[in-house]
Amino acid sequence: MSTRQIGISSLIFLAIYVVQESIISQFRLPGGGFSILIIFVLSWAIMSERDIAAVIGFSGGLLMDLSQNTSGPFGQWTLIMLLAGYGISYLGYGDDNFFGGALGVVFSIVLGNLLIELLFLISAPLLGVSIGSFGQIISTLFGTSVWTLFLTPIVLPIFARLYKTIFQAGSLA
Amino acid sequence: MSKGGQSRTRLLLVILIVTSLFLVTLDLRGVKLLDNLKQGMHNVVSPFQRTANSALSPVKGFFSDISLLGRSGSQIEKLEKENAALKLELLERQDADVQIDQLKSILDLAGTAGYKIVNAKVISQGSYQSFAQTVTIGSGSNSGIAQNMTVLSEYGIAGIVKEVYPNSALIQLASDPAFRIGVRIVNSQQIGFLTGRGERSAVLQLLDNSTDINVGDILMSRGSIANRPFVPGVPVGYVTTVDNSAGTIAQSATVRYYTDFSKLSVLAVVVGGPSTNPGDALVPQKPRPIPTPTVTVFVTPTPTPSN
Repeated sequence: MSTRQIGISSLIFLAIYVVQESIISQFRLPGGGFSILIIFVLSWAIMSERDIAAVIGFSGGLLMDLSQNTSGPFGQWTLIMLLAGYGISYLGYGDDNFFGGALGVVFSIVLGNLLIELLFLISAPLLGVSIGSFGQIISTLFGTSVWTLFLTPIVLPIFARLYKTIFQAGSLA
Repeated sequence: MSKGGQSRTRLLLVILIVTSLFLVTLDLRGVKLLDNLKQGMHNVVSPFQRTANSALSPVKGFFSDISLLGRSGSQIEKLEKENAALKLELLERQDADVQIDQLKSILDLAGTAGYKIVNAKVISQGSYQSFAQTVTIGSGSNSGIAQNMTVLSEYGIAGIVKEVYPNSALIQLASDPAFRIGVRIVNSQQIGFLTGRGERSAVLQLLDNSTDINVGDILMSRGSIANRPFVPGVPVGYVTTVDNSAGTIAQSATVRYYTDFSKLSVLAVVVGGPSTNPGDALVPQKPRPIPTPTVTVFVTPTPTPSN
């Protein structure tokens, strides 16, 4: 990974973060809404090798921890996103993977998003974070999954193009 | 992947996991290592939030108004094009009217109790990803706002100030699962604790098990030392269901907040508490039933003609 690739990737990460924090957070969407940053991290991680995917997850999680809206200790999201990035790359990378088609990628991102939320719910009580009523948790899990399923096919081509532009152009140079 | 590549990946993964755990440990031990970075990031994002708030203000209600989509048709499309500018203006006006109404109610509330308040617009909603309930307001320490101050909506308690920045502040809503407030029941003066559940309802636990809670009982805030984080006498909510299960140590009930957390656009931060406890001055008035006019009809039987 070259310095140029790291620089451009960092700028894109920051741009996505600003979009999430300033635009998407304006709407109180039914069912809890979605996180464009999680979708972005998972879609890039699935296209990357495991070590790069781990770094992508780590960076995305660090940004989520820097968000003012995050509850829980600093580092919780970093750890969760790191594991999610590595995990999804482990399943998705290679010629013999089962996420070969676009549909598979979309469903793996939805599943990844759900697993991230579940990881947060599992780790939250251990770290002293309150998580609300059972009904609210189920509603949020369902809502965020539906939103991610709806949004991922729209943004995935953009994220994939960005990835190819940065990493494939970089590797050819 | 080669054997060397695999070991390199494993090493990187271990380093990143250890770093994450290191950050968690530091935070849990109270070492605010990255607080400045977090504040710096917020200062970067805050102007974008303000701009987006102003720009998106007319269309924020889109998702609640989505049921109107079924009316689409060629004629409506034509009319929509013709009236687009007027609609935008109207939406802006409606948005401003709602904010004025909310502001008026907040001022009434604060004025009655003698609270000194600072009003602020909600510039950003919190994220659901962490199952937390927060909003960001467009005023901060430059306006006299400090951490752990009570935040009011037009109907009563909205939350407390969790983090303060120079020109904005993060508000932990009363619906947040980590939110706790000491309350008293208006009629019986019993005291208890209210805990948020991530929605508009909350759980009340009384400290004394000897008295009864009734559906409809009104809860007010008890107030804290030096009025922080809670000033006394703020309407909180009313009891909707009572848990009468046997064997419980403390009696509990479900409470519905007066504040509708999905419609917050203007909030007030109490920067100065009342000189005297307002007591029950802010107890919400029950709606007066509109008398239904009754019509009494007197029927006098007409004598039937006898043959």
